[in-house]
Amino acid sequence: MKSLIRDTLVVLLLSGLVAVAVNLFRPNPLPWVADQDYETMVPCPEPLGEVDEITVESDIILDDRTLLIDAREKDEFELGSVPKAVSVPFDWLDPVPEEKVAELVKTRAARVVVFGDGLDPDSGRELARELAGRGMRNVSFVKGGAKALFEAGLGTTGGAP
Amino acid sequence: MKQVTTLLVFLALMALPALAFAGPCDDLSPAHKKVVDAVFASEYPYDGCDETFATCLKSTPVHPLVTRLADWMCQKAATGADEATLKRSLERRGLSMMRPGKTYEISQKNAAIAGCLKSPVEVTIYACARCPYCSKLIPEIYKEATTGQLAGKVKLIFKPFPIKSHKYSTEANQALQAAIDLNRGWEFLLAMYAKFDGFSLDRLTNLAIEAGLDKAAFADMSAKKEVREHLVEAKKEGLRNGVEATPTFFINGRRFLGDLDSLTLVDCILEEGMQ
Repeated sequence: MKSLIRDTLVVLLLSGLVAVAVNLFRPNPLPWVADQDYETMVPCPEPLGEVDEITVESDIILDDRTLLIDAREKDEFELGSVPKAVSVPFDWLDPVPEEKVAELVKTRAARVVVFGDGLDPDSGRELARELAGRGMRNVSFVKGGAKALFEAGLGTTGGAP
Repeated sequence: MKQVTTLLVFLALMALPALAFAGPCDDLSPAHKKVVDAVFASEYPYDGCDETFATCLKSTPVHPLVTRLADWMCQKAATGADEATLKRSLERRGLSMMRPGKTYEISQKNAAIAGCLKSPVEVTIYACARCPYCSKLIPEIYKEATTGQLAGKVKLIFKPFPIKSHKYSTEANQALQAAIDLNRGWEFLLAMYAKFDGFSLDRLTNLAIEAGLDKAAFADMSAKKEVREHLVEAKKEGLRNGVEATPTFFINGRRFLGDLDSLTLVDCILEEGMQ
């Protein structure tokens, strides 16, 4: 035990000496005492995650292990959507409620596919990025949104984007 | 004795112009000078001269942009920027300032406008009313644009861009949009940023009064559906223009990628005015 403590101290001392020696030979050595305030303020990013863009031809849209999310307004969803899609209307100002995110995570889907209005900016893409930023994995969005899905014949009967 | 005094006065007078023309690069400490010299020896200005800074600065006459960039780098070095930081800053500044860059469509409708309305240099700022970094930087830029180095040289356009992770972001930005719609946007924003740390929702009315707004008019405007629609439109426009963090600046429609400090921003805006 005694030798272990001694060896630890020796390693720490040697590491310290090496660090000091390296610092001495640096072109811009680190100061012993900070000579100016560190900048702690940084610009504020939106908490967004990385997502993949997929097209309506992608097989994963209708795959059983996919959680399909319709990001459009509730009334648009009710007029017609894609079979098995769940409605999570995207709000441009307020975040998705915590309990809604928890509910989506609980589905344990292998992947999440979001589609929205397909406009610029696309509510589907934005919701996908927000969900990915909130910790959901394997999130994609459909290029062209609901309009593209309907044109490809994937919408429910009578539904229109 | 009298002759010596005369000589000293003469020498002092001779030195005055030299003192007047002493630039930021003349006041550097030896350590900072070393950093700048290393950058000048290896880096090229993005415009105005095809050689390294060291060579360009020896040519006669020195191109005004080269002098501007050299002075700016010396000022950055004096604040402690190291060689790698300076090189990165120069590269990003070049990407922002070089023409033709991609220009984005920015509407000035329902935005807060300040500075010189007829200026050919237009600077758009997308920022969140609850962004701590914005609360420090934007008042500095506003001060420069209204009473400082940029007075009469720039039109400042402010557009709210609520960041969802900021507490009270929607409420604060909606109140700001209401003030913008009542033509007191800048006043409200500055009042809000000045009391950033003590923010609470029940202070919004007091901030509006401080900004010179009528309490009843502010309450009426805040309740209007259009205010939220204007705010959503501003956010959508920001997203279309690739805004993902605040503050984001655009100079004459080109996205500013340089360092987000007032020294760099003011210098870049002045440079834009030189074009």
